[in-house]
Amino acid sequence: MPGGIRVEYQEELDRLEASALGGIDLASAALSRTLEAIEHQDVELAQIVVADDDRIDGRYLEVHQALITLLATQSPVATDLRLISALLHVLKNVERMGDQCVNICKMIPLTGNEPPSDQEMVKLILSMGGQTKTLLSQAKRSFADRDIELAQDLVRQDDVVDNLNRECFRLALEIGDDADRREWAMTMLLGARAIERIGDNAVDIGEQVAFVVTGLFREFEDASHPSG
Amino acid sequence: MGAIGATRAEAEAEVGKTEMKVTTTGTQPTPTAAPATGGRPAKTLETRGVDLFYGDFHAVEDVTMTVEPNKVTALIGSSGCGKTTFLRSLNRMHELTPGARVEGEIALDGQDIYERGVDPVQVRRLVGMVFQSPNPFPTMSIYDNVAAGLNLNAGRVKKTEKDAIVERSLRGAHLWNEVKDRLDKPGSGLSGGQQQRLCIARAIAVEPEVLLMDEPCSALDPVATLAIEDLIGELKSKFTIAIVTHNMQQASRASDITAFFNLEQTGKPGRLVEIGPTEKIFTSPAQQATEDYVSGRFG
Repeated sequence: MPGGIRVEYQEELDRLEASALGGIDLASAALSRTLEAIEHQDVELAQIVVADDDRIDGRYLEVHQALITLLATQSPVATDLRLISALLHVLKNVERMGDQCVNICKMIPLTGNEPPSDQEMVKLILSMGGQTKTLLSQAKRSFADRDIELAQDLVRQDDVVDNLNRECFRLALEIGDDADRREWAMTMLLGARAIERIGDNAVDIGEQVAFVVTGLFREFEDASHPSG
Repeated sequence: MGAIGATRAEAEAEVGKTEMKVTTTGTQPTPTAAPATGGRPAKTLETRGVDLFYGDFHAVEDVTMTVEPNKVTALIGSSGCGKTTFLRSLNRMHELTPGARVEGEIALDGQDIYERGVDPVQVRRLVGMVFQSPNPFPTMSIYDNVAAGLNLNAGRVKKTEKDAIVERSLRGAHLWNEVKDRLDKPGSGLSGGQQQRLCIARAIAVEPEVLLMDEPCSALDPVATLAIEDLIGELKSKFTIAIVTHNMQQASRASDITAFFNLEQTGKPGRLVEIGPTEKIFTSPAQQATEDYVSGRFG
């Protein structure tokens, strides 16, 4: 930083960026536990994920407030302004990812202690979750390094998650006539959908990387205009 | 070039002169009948390769930019970067400093204002200036302060016409309601913010094309500052405005275009680093030097 001016402001901005990006780690940890709860039908672990979401919400509120304070007191402009705008988006995505984990974990008790599960479908969902965790760490790294190429690569990685999600759907269709098994498969499909959304949140964070670096916002993928 | 060695007071008096035509350039005045609330197209100021000197000292180097009509252009940059010097060259006030000179071309709607034979006094009539400290003529009444430009130059303006111009100018400067019952009182009795608006009324009374403002709010409190900024926003419907400011929030609030001036090191001439829409300069400037300055990281 030339001149060594506004050192405290810069340190605060750095701290808030680290804290907001740390929120991605919190969401990733919540996703890990969620996957474990799915794999082992662990209702207690699922309840812990639900309760622990307060930490993610707390991070959101704390960093959000501090960023608003910086806006109000420091008049950030140019790259700093874009960074703060992007961090507000990152926080919102982190909060949404935490909520998706909560949504999944709230469904786990519904399927009962010994559900009529389909191991192939569980395996697919765990695979989706693992791939999504890769997306989260890549989103964080691309933001921290301001690496647009790495951010854009999130789209390719997300396609893998989307394909696994479609595969889940196909398995659910073929699950058979047993009503309990069908109910289980439907519930799992909702879980797969929630994980797929977390992947989308990671891509959204990548789009913010491009905004911070270039000053231009554009969606990497536009669901309403898929060809673009 | 004329008027070298003139005092600042003389220069300021000249700003208000009212000859309605620049005879040597053929530049036609805009009709004065524009309604008080409506807009009117103002003129464009363009500079090409402008270098400014104080004797041997090269103060500003190679500035090419356009001050667009009916927009507010803010000139920002650290002290000594030449932005005020540049502003003063736009209405030929720079040359009033002994030894000062101008190279390059500055044109008002295509007409070079430094061309041989152009009367600098007429240039200053078309390109008015508002200064950093409010400087109403202390012994003159509020009314006479506004009418000073008319009195100085036009000779015979009918009293009724003059009354109308004074009222229109004071209304235009958002001052009428505050002073209409004491027009015969001295201008120096007004508050700082009112005095600055009085100076703006004086400047617009002669219906210039361009208004130059040199840190017009630096001596004012925040409320008076915001009042002037609001006023600037309204004035652009009739005038082309260039404003020098140290207050970057003021530039971001009050201007449409921002020009960033910088000097590489002390003793070197100031240069125009970047000019663009204010929104762009304050969200994603193209130059690192601009980024450092607007972010407050300029060393």
